[in-house]
Amino acid sequence: MIEFENHIRLDDIRRIAIGKRLKIPLFSSYVSAGFPNSSEHYITKVCDLNDLCIANEDATYFVRVRGDSMSGDRIDDGDFLIVDSSQEPSEDKIVVVILNGEHAVKRIHYVGEMVVLESSNPKYLPIYIHPGDDFRVFGVVTRILVKPV
Amino acid sequence: MNLVGIGDCNNFYVSCIRSFNPKLIGQPVIVLSNNDKCVVARSNEAKALGIRMGQPLFQLKRKVSDYNVQVFSSNYELFGDMSRRVFNTIGRFMEHTFPYSIDELFFSASGYESIYGSHADMARMMIKTVDQWTRIPVSIGIGETMTLAKVANRHAKKHPEYQGVFVMDNPELRESILAEFPVGDLWGIGRQYEVLLKQNGIRTALELSRLPHDWIKQFMTVEGLRLVYELQGIQCRDLDTEPLHKKSICVAPSFGRKVWSYGTLCEALATYLARASEKLRRHSSAAGVVTVFIHTNRFDKVGPHHSASQSITLPHPSSSTMELLQYAEPVLKSIYKTGYDYQEVGLILNEIVPEGHQQQLLYSDTPNPRQAQLSQVVDKLNGKYGRDKIRLGLQGYDKSWKMKQDHLPPSYTTKWSDIIEVR
Repeated sequence: MIEFENHIRLDDIRRIAIGKRLKIPLFSSYVSAGFPNSSEHYITKVCDLNDLCIANEDATYFVRVRGDSMSGDRIDDGDFLIVDSSQEPSEDKIVVVILNGEHAVKRIHYVGEMVVLESSNPKYLPIYIHPGDDFRVFGVVTRILVKPV
Repeated sequence: MNLVGIGDCNNFYVSCIRSFNPKLIGQPVIVLSNNDKCVVARSNEAKALGIRMGQPLFQLKRKVSDYNVQVFSSNYELFGDMSRRVFNTIGRFMEHTFPYSIDELFFSASGYESIYGSHADMARMMIKTVDQWTRIPVSIGIGETMTLAKVANRHAKKHPEYQGVFVMDNPELRESILAEFPVGDLWGIGRQYEVLLKQNGIRTALELSRLPHDWIKQFMTVEGLRLVYELQGIQCRDLDTEPLHKKSICVAPSFGRKVWSYGTLCEALATYLARASEKLRRHSSAAGVVTVFIHTNRFDKVGPHHSASQSITLPHPSSSTMELLQYAEPVLKSIYKTGYDYQEVGLILNEIVPEGHQQQLLYSDTPNPRQAQLSQVVDKLNGKYGRDKIRLGLQGYDKSWKMKQDHLPPSYTTKWSDIIEVR
């Protein structure tokens, strides 16, 4: 017999919604009739490039390189860059900038009030940005994706 | 005091495109609705040219060429991804957020003073971070209730000197703002109520908040009363209990060309229904009412016009494409008339409830579990092999009624072929 006090009130009964099921590999072994496969004990998760290359998904963008202005840093025409807009564009970082409405990849330097954008190909002159110029940093280049030639 | 905040992206669709195409900053830009029909977003420069929300494109031909207005179609891949990024970024600041639309997000703003200093400091930090991470400008309003947060947000947008942040955290300030706030701009006041209130001499939100409760209840229902309480700083809408599910889903992209045959209309309806019910299932929801509407081009000066809409209440809420179509198709049949060039067929799914919360009526049909299972399998297969790989025969294969998108901006973040280039 259930005591009255033990009744669960109707309002307290809720349906549990299962939104998303995550598959977690079970760490177990069973008796094998054939040759034992010892690797089964170590399955955890496969390596994911995203873990390696993307620290902040919400602020990460991919861009494609055009031209050879950064060839000295092994950034060539057609390469892909991973750019993180949440990272601090500190001195000497390779960054993507927006200058006069155009995107560019350059190495950034701070000289007093001025920002200097340097290419790594001697064919290109450094660009000097003065306070008030139409300029902003898009993000810091965190990876360069290159196809071997 | 528990304060509520709302983050609202400024001219969101325009800002999404500018985020990757900075040349457009400072230029008049408009974004068009599905099928490039009318204006759904405007940059401030476009607003200054007198371009109105909802204005059909053909009325703007002259302005567009005279002022070199940049015109774009809607790209919901881009808008959706940027919305996700903005919401996630704001979500880093606090535990409790609640997306309200593609560009608005409520959050519970109290309890973080020790981390961020004042509420205004927190809001400014949020705006700065969202700008750095996504280049999307956001305005933040904070108030005692969700309704007041919206009022504060609008105030912040109207007054550039606040730089996108307005905190309305005491009764005196609240009253002084409400005294200037047009009643028609309030969240939840539609055209009808605005007229009713104006007829009764009520022009500002403050005046509304001081009306006798009996009067409000009589003429504006209990919803109106909730609004009045909210204006007085008493929380009636709650971040916890406000249903997370959308109240309705509407799908009505109009045809790229005129359509007269019933068969084609029906195919379109079935496809939109498949889309909408997929969305229902993704949100574990079911719809109780289906509304179907059709109309000819209202702006077409020649030719006869016909528009009609009709709703049907289902015996039980459902999310199964087939089941919904069973009810929607006869509705279309009943409103369809031959001899008209139709511009649009659309459907609205209403009375959306969380799946499993359906009221079970005695003797009425209950949802068919086999249908629900079938729909799930279809979703899985389509998720794996591509949209509409498995579909109802009625959805058809001829997509001659497909949407018009002549000015589609690139999918900068969702297609490899569309990512930006750097020199």
